[in-house]
Amino acid sequence: MSLITPSSKAKRSFGGKGGGRRFENNKIYGNPLPLLFVDPPSTRLNSVLGLLGLSLTRVENPHCEGIFDPITRSVWITNMDHCMTLWRRGFFGKGDLSRSEPSWLARQMNLRKSAGKQLTSEEVTARRRAERKQFKLDRAAAIAAVAEEAEQIFEKEGKVTVPALSGPAIPSAATWKPSQPIRPETPITPAEVDIPDPLDEEPLENVEHMQLTLQEAFFLLWNLDCLTVLHPDTLEPMSLKDLWIAFQRAHLPIEIEAPQPLRFDNPFLINYAVYHHYRSLGWVVKGGIKFCVDYLLYKRGPVFSHAEFAMVVLPVYEDPGDQEDAPSNLQNATPFAWSWLSTINRVNSQVQKTLVLVYVTIPSRKRVSATVLESPACFTQYSVREVILRRFIPARMRD
Amino acid sequence: MDESLELPNVHLQKPADIVAAEDDEQASDDEDGGLDWTKLLPAALRPVIPKRGEKEYEPRTGTAGGESGLQVHVLERSRAAMFETLKATRTTSSKAISYGIWHPHLARAEVTVMKGIHFSSMGHSAPRQVLDSDGTEKLQKRLELLPEEAIYLIERGSMFCWKESNLDLQQLEGVDGVPMTVQQAYSEMIGTEDLTLEKFQVFAYLKRLGYVVTRTRPPNEHYPTATPLSVAVSSPSVLDRVRRLFGGLASGLRRVFARFDWWHPLNTSTCFLGIRNYGSLFRSLRFIPTGHSVPLNREETNQKDSPYQIFYNLYKPSTPFKKSTPPAPDFQIVVINARTTPMPTLQELTNLFDILPEQPLPLPRQKRLANGSQVEAKPVPSAPAAPLPSTGFCQRLFPWAFPTTAPVTQGRRVNPFMALKNGKKMIVIAVVDAGNIGFFKFSEGAFSEWPMA
Repeated sequence: MSLITPSSKAKRSFGGKGGGRRFENNKIYGNPLPLLFVDPPSTRLNSVLGLLGLSLTRVENPHCEGIFDPITRSVWITNMDHCMTLWRRGFFGKGDLSRSEPSWLARQMNLRKSAGKQLTSEEVTARRRAERKQFKLDRAAAIAAVAEEAEQIFEKEGKVTVPALSGPAIPSAATWKPSQPIRPETPITPAEVDIPDPLDEEPLENVEHMQLTLQEAFFLLWNLDCLTVLHPDTLEPMSLKDLWIAFQRAHLPIEIEAPQPLRFDNPFLINYAVYHHYRSLGWVVKGGIKFCVDYLLYKRGPVFSHAEFAMVVLPVYEDPGDQEDAPSNLQNATPFAWSWLSTINRVNSQVQKTLVLVYVTIPSRKRVSATVLESPACFTQYSVREVILRRFIPARMRD
Repeated sequence: MDESLELPNVHLQKPADIVAAEDDEQASDDEDGGLDWTKLLPAALRPVIPKRGEKEYEPRTGTAGGESGLQVHVLERSRAAMFETLKATRTTSSKAISYGIWHPHLARAEVTVMKGIHFSSMGHSAPRQVLDSDGTEKLQKRLELLPEEAIYLIERGSMFCWKESNLDLQQLEGVDGVPMTVQQAYSEMIGTEDLTLEKFQVFAYLKRLGYVVTRTRPPNEHYPTATPLSVAVSSPSVLDRVRRLFGGLASGLRRVFARFDWWHPLNTSTCFLGIRNYGSLFRSLRFIPTGHSVPLNREETNQKDSPYQIFYNLYKPSTPFKKSTPPAPDFQIVVINARTTPMPTLQELTNLFDILPEQPLPLPRQKRLANGSQVEAKPVPSAPAAPLPSTGFCQRLFPWAFPTTAPVTQGRRVNPFMALKNGKKMIVIAVVDAGNIGFFKFSEGAFSEWPMA
């Protein structure tokens, strides 16, 4: 079954998942957060307690560890078990050599064995793209042949026939089958040109690590308390207060003499407010750079379905004076031009996502003093609201 | 256009053909497709045009490496048909023309002779002091058109407009003033009564598609205002009241016994009284203020200067429209110029949303009920306004007494994605960029009312 034919089910998923794969996904990715709730054994006492609304449920905390890297503004997780725990329970983080899940090691092993039993998502995508390229070449050849025929008829008899662009002679995505097995082109580096001798192979060492953005890391360590972050130089665990200040300082310009004062319009705070808000509503929030936006919202996770909403974060200053004092221009703080708005809207409607503008209000320094920034209590001063943008086509809305 | 009306016309134009041509011209089939030029001509003069096929995007090389004879031939044929139809003169039957007089100081066109179906949705009646034939001033009601309506009809060829003049016209019969050309109409009427070229363009585009377009703010007191959509706010049910009462009690108790620690917002160490499943965990995380009702704390700049004012009310062609008492509009339009006005700021959007009524929830696909107008959904249980989480103690005690299901309308659940995408209030902003119009729907989002967990 070619990978480019649309599957019969409504959901388009890679690899043509059937019921078995979905069941597996539900098992592996079933927990929405890294914490696990362990229910107590159902004794009589416990059921009585349950009626009263009390329970003896235990919480299992995975206690993952990561290292703070202020240069890349991220937290690195090198322990593979922790990586997989955080990825599988809530889709936190991204492998730095992979598309999403840290799969570099699996891909290298597949390359060596070239058996490809368990295809990673990158390999599936590469194969699908190669097949689609071949299909387009076949289709172009068929169209050229039909047009040639029509041309011949015109020259000989002067009869005008329209060369068809669809029809029985021309393959369509639903009916095309690859004539020979397609091999995706892998980029060949000079080192790989000479075939490695099986005896010379070094044991594979995983050089990949997983990166959490500062927002994801803070969400895990502040609310769920399941992440410990180590200082990059001393490798000592940092306290929550230190991390709160350090995450904000990562976005401020480096000052040699005196430390810069903390500001309300710190990008970390604004993005964290948005991230926390949508995580608390149950959405899985991932980065949206692929579609010109800031965040993408998934209902359960990227493995289950495509993202429904594309969020653009627009900070709004309560006091315009604060905006002029800002050391660096905050992204999207001034309303942008209609051409850019149309562009983002068009890109996202092409991939069937709805564009949502998220307005975050930044408190003014005159109303609230900056000392409140030293604890997360400052989040009550911000507010998050959304405006949904769609195109209105009068010709189609007539009925 | 004016000359051909006065000269005798050789071709015998049957009125039915003209009406058919005008009707076809109204119905452009696709928004993105080109016009079928042949439909403008009457049946006798129409050239034969081959059926429109698929678009070709590059020149094709023919058999001997030269140009494709077939492609060139087909292109030439289509071009010739287009030029042929454009060369023909457009005429209107004298029985279908209305007459009007443009009064510059009033910025209105008074209609003296009314013909055709346009006036069922255009024009309003205004009483004016009129000098009668015997010299006495009498209050008389007459049909008046706004400048955009007048230009639209003149350009279409359905109205012939005179300009009001002080010349003595008693001797000339049937002449009420100085005749106006289309160009003169444009130059005189655009700029009066708040009408700009962009607004006229949007008006004309929507009218050509078949909508009824009226102004939201009446320019004078005789202009009928639309009845606003009545928002059915049902009083909260007994259960809602009890729940809110207990919720308040419980959060009060919580606040007394356990202060909300900002360094440990979740109390997961002891599950005894606290969180015991993912649902309650997510609920206790919702403490960031959200929603459009949170005050903006910005200084109120003068809102009348903002270009974001609702200008047009739009009614779908299928809505029964009565001129004297227009129903609630289907859409409301703001018209702005893309080059001079940036995107709306949050303050401007909030001001617009404050005026607008709430929309009903989108129903799943099913056939409409007989009383389709009363499809108002039950109000969604409002999200807790207080930032602190509150699951009432009694609510946990008797979970069966406090159902928290998604709002159900007429036995069918509303799809949360559809409700999220539609939003609660909607405004359409027409952005005119040097002649191209783009329409955008800005809706007020309500993600906190449809949580995913």
